Amino acid sequence: MALTLPPDSRTPLSWPVRPGNGLRASHGIARTLRVLLALALALWLVLPLVPLALWAFADRWSFPAVLPQAWGWGGVRAALAQGAVPAFGRSLLLGLLVSAVATPLGVLAARALAYRRVPLAPAVNVLLFAPLALPAFVAALGLNVLLLRVQVPPFAGVVLLLTVYALPYTSYTMRVAYGAHDLAVEEEARLLGASAWQVMWRVQLPLLAPALARAAFLAFLVGWSDYVITVLVGGGTIVTVPLLVAAAAAGTGNDATVALLSAAALLPPLVLLLVLGLFGRRPRSHQTNGDVK
Amino acid sequence: MAAPAILITAFVVIGGMATALAQSLGLFPLVGPPSLTVAAYAAQASDLPVGIGLSLAIAAASTVVACLVGFTAALVIVQGRWCGKLVAALGTLTVPVPHIVGAASVSLLLADSGLLARLFNAGGSWPELVGGPWWIGVVAEYGWKESAFVALVVTGTLATRAVSYDETAALLGAGRLSRLRHVLLPLSLPTLTVSATIIFVYSLGSYEVAWLLGRAYPEPLPVMALRLFNAATLTARPEAAAVAIVTTLLSFGAVAAALAYLRRSTLWR
Repeated sequence: MALTLPPDSRTPLSWPVRPGNGLRASHGIARTLRVLLALALALWLVLPLVPLALWAFADRWSFPAVLPQAWGWGGVRAALAQGAVPAFGRSLLLGLLVSAVATPLGVLAARALAYRRVPLAPAVNVLLFAPLALPAFVAALGLNVLLLRVQVPPFAGVVLLLTVYALPYTSYTMRVAYGAHDLAVEEEARLLGASAWQVMWRVQLPLLAPALARAAFLAFLVGWSDYVITVLVGGGTIVTVPLLVAAAAAGTGNDATVALLSAAALLPPLVLLLVLGLFGRRPRSHQTNGDVK
Repeated sequence: MAAPAILITAFVVIGGMATALAQSLGLFPLVGPPSLTVAAYAAQASDLPVGIGLSLAIAAASTVVACLVGFTAALVIVQGRWCGKLVAALGTLTVPVPHIVGAASVSLLLADSGLLARLFNAGGSWPELVGGPWWIGVVAEYGWKESAFVALVVTGTLATRAVSYDETAALLGAGRLSRLRHVLLPLSLPTLTVSATIIFVYSLGSYEVAWLLGRAYPEPLPVMALRLFNAATLTARPEAAAVAIVTTLLSFGAVAAALAYLRRSTLWR
């Protein structure tokens, strides 16, 4: 597996949590404990990322000091000198390519599986989920020799492997979406004279758009976050942001560079997550209807 | 229509395992004629048991931490209100953090010159959390990242069904603990088992976190495999493949055990 992601149809950023009534509400000490527990969990989730924010613009921060002693752009300069900009571009390209290949393939597989047009469906299901069980370094280490012998360009090889590691997420997300998708709507459109092409663009696509956006986001994350496949199959020639972070973190004395590169690696996923949260939701009515299932 | 996805997955999964197996058995040598041999496994026979034990221990510890914290977080999220929303939002932000970034950041947090050592003004007495004998940093990184994963996945399960059951139980006079034991836990157990399996298999077969936050010896299996793969000697490649095959067997074994458990339990429908 290359990454663990919740391929749930409802995540991220949209939980159909109903406010509920007062039956389960806590009072007095129980309420105080619950708030404290929530704050402790929030700290647990945030704390590991705090050093990045502090170190990114710290020029001097020698040991016993609790806060940086001098702020500045030293980390930025060092990161740029190490090729952060081209690496950022390469990572972006990798993520987008993996997303562009794995999403349509996942859609096709999910549609075929959902409408039972696949022979040996149980075996196909197992195969599509198999990348979750096979450690990424095993596939990369094994195929490396083969890809070299048949002279597949390293970048194409990396995209191929990452696509396969993204497919469980895209096919599962779309499978869930097709499970809730009503074919009668498509048939009705056909009945009213729409061509197959129009049904796809005007009916199917808008109905499945939220799931498509989630699937594409998950596939992008697989490509954006990968380290071990890029190192092994790329043979060190494809320097992406994770590789720069690893190289900087493995050395000593360049904590500001590590923090800055890491913060840069967080930006695209977080921006996409916000975009998805703002525009990727279903309309309200669909969410309340979802409770009936 | 599913053909392209099936074909490339089969190529990478089956082809990857087959080529790794062939390399480990000496059928794919860098130089010289291929010959069937288990020499690669024999050469690492002394280090493999240590690596297997260490990898399993790290994976088990990370899974336990992630599931405990993640399940607690899911309970808080499902309660709704502002504290639930806060935990949910922070969990959502944690999930897309790449593991190598998480590892780099945990190192800046827990190392002996890290943020926590500064905050507690430990001086020389800070425990060896990163690169120490107990692999605390590695387990902390997996536990942190994957607890967010567990929280979101379990929330997805609980949010659709649990609230009404929970309210019914509360209406019938069930206390907080008995509701947790008889309603929330049984409802989330299948999802929890699946996520635990995913986390176990991931932390068992993942390289970068253990490499960055671990120590030089003993090595978990993926670190061992990549060190051998990049070694200068020609015999090391088959040995790297042998370690990879052992990791794959452990990983598939864990998945098979989890599936058997899920099938046997009445919870799986």
